[in-house]
Amino acid sequence: MVSTILILSLVALGLFYLQNLMLYTQVHLLLPELLVFCAALRHPLLLAFSLALLIGLLQDSYALTPLGLHVLAALIIVGAARAAQRKFLLQHPLPQILIAAGALLLQNLTIRLILMLVGFRETFFSDLTPSQGMEILATAALTPLFFSLLTGVEKRTNPRRKQSLLSN
Amino acid sequence: MRQTGVRPKTRLRTPLLIAGFVILLFFLLSLSLKHSPALGRVEGALVSLSAPGLAAIHYVVDSLQRLWAGYFFLVGLREKNEALQRRLDDYLPKEVQYQEAVQTLKRLEALLELRQELALPVTAARVIAYDPSLWSRCLILDKGKNQGVQVGFPVLVPTGVVGRVVEAYPEYAKVMLIVDRNSGADATLQRTRGRGILQGKGGNRCSLEYLPKNADVQIGDLVLTSGLGGIYPKGLALGHVTAIDKKVPGAFQEIEVTPTVDLSSLEEVLIARVANYLLKP
Repeated sequence: MVSTILILSLVALGLFYLQNLMLYTQVHLLLPELLVFCAALRHPLLLAFSLALLIGLLQDSYALTPLGLHVLAALIIVGAARAAQRKFLLQHPLPQILIAAGALLLQNLTIRLILMLVGFRETFFSDLTPSQGMEILATAALTPLFFSLLTGVEKRTNPRRKQSLLSN
Repeated sequence: MRQTGVRPKTRLRTPLLIAGFVILLFFLLSLSLKHSPALGRVEGALVSLSAPGLAAIHYVVDSLQRLWAGYFFLVGLREKNEALQRRLDDYLPKEVQYQEAVQTLKRLEALLELRQELALPVTAARVIAYDPSLWSRCLILDKGKNQGVQVGFPVLVPTGVVGRVVEAYPEYAKVMLIVDRNSGADATLQRTRGRGILQGKGGNRCSLEYLPKNADVQIGDLVLTSGLGGIYPKGLALGHVTAIDKKVPGAFQEIEVTPTVDLSSLEEVLIARVANYLLKP
């Protein structure tokens, strides 16, 4: 599990760098959050939490929001993914995309609520732009790709699982 | 028997894990809201650990872009103009370097002019990272405490004010942009000298607050720093008035201001060492 955490942490750092170099400040695709979502569906809770903590702290360090806000946001994604895993079959791309979109939307609304509670009163209804919705949908559309990425990581880091996949 | 002995332990593991993370989270949030210096150091450590990677990638990308612009992109043209191109081949990389140098020189000249106009001690810095959050607007610069940067220092470019330093780490600094919701600056209208507070509104917007409804304001008016408030030097451009609404309830009009600086494509900035007192976000 340690090797998986390390590899996923490097992937998360890579995604963060990619976004900072190519997408910000015009586009805010939620790629690290999507990685957390997929990791929460496929991996043990401890691994998902560790990844959420790392990504959350990294994002908090580069932002002006209270430290812990992005950690909380990432944990909401983990919670949503685990809850969805119990209720739905997430084998096919469409349910994966829909649940990811729901989780990202829930995360967005929760952050707005928390920011409002800690004193940023105008935040809840501000910047509710169609582009934010589009960014959430575009991020969710990438879910199957991230699942493939995680499958690839699993195959490399867990040979026993690779064998079971091959035998199936 | 062995199984029954293990099961409660396993059953408790997940709730304990969740409880542990939730406690950690609230601990972090509570310390953060109290502006704990320890969390500042954690942030500083994380930025100091991850920012060199960004700076290195910036360098590699810049080099590749120069290589692409100077060589690969021109392969097609070379086929069409072989004879001429052969003679130019030797000069093209130099030309690209020259153009790049001219552009850099222009930017630096503009910064130098601003430096002379300001007649203030300034430090030039490069933007190495942008804010990943949708909820705040800030930048990370490649100059920090070791280069004399302190919290409260204003950050400027030739076209106007960028923001102010809110965190200074050993080698990096975090800058709150004037459009961030926590940003406020004492401002004055150039044409009428009407004074107000320029408040960040998120996105790429600000608003000029506390200007009475009878004050003379027109769309296009330039908003400048007033020099009061002790953060920004007097007479620097903050933005242009882009919308006015006098029909809002209350004694003041609603004035939208768009920054004169394109805050999403900054490369080099000047940090003016003039802060009189320190402000926290």
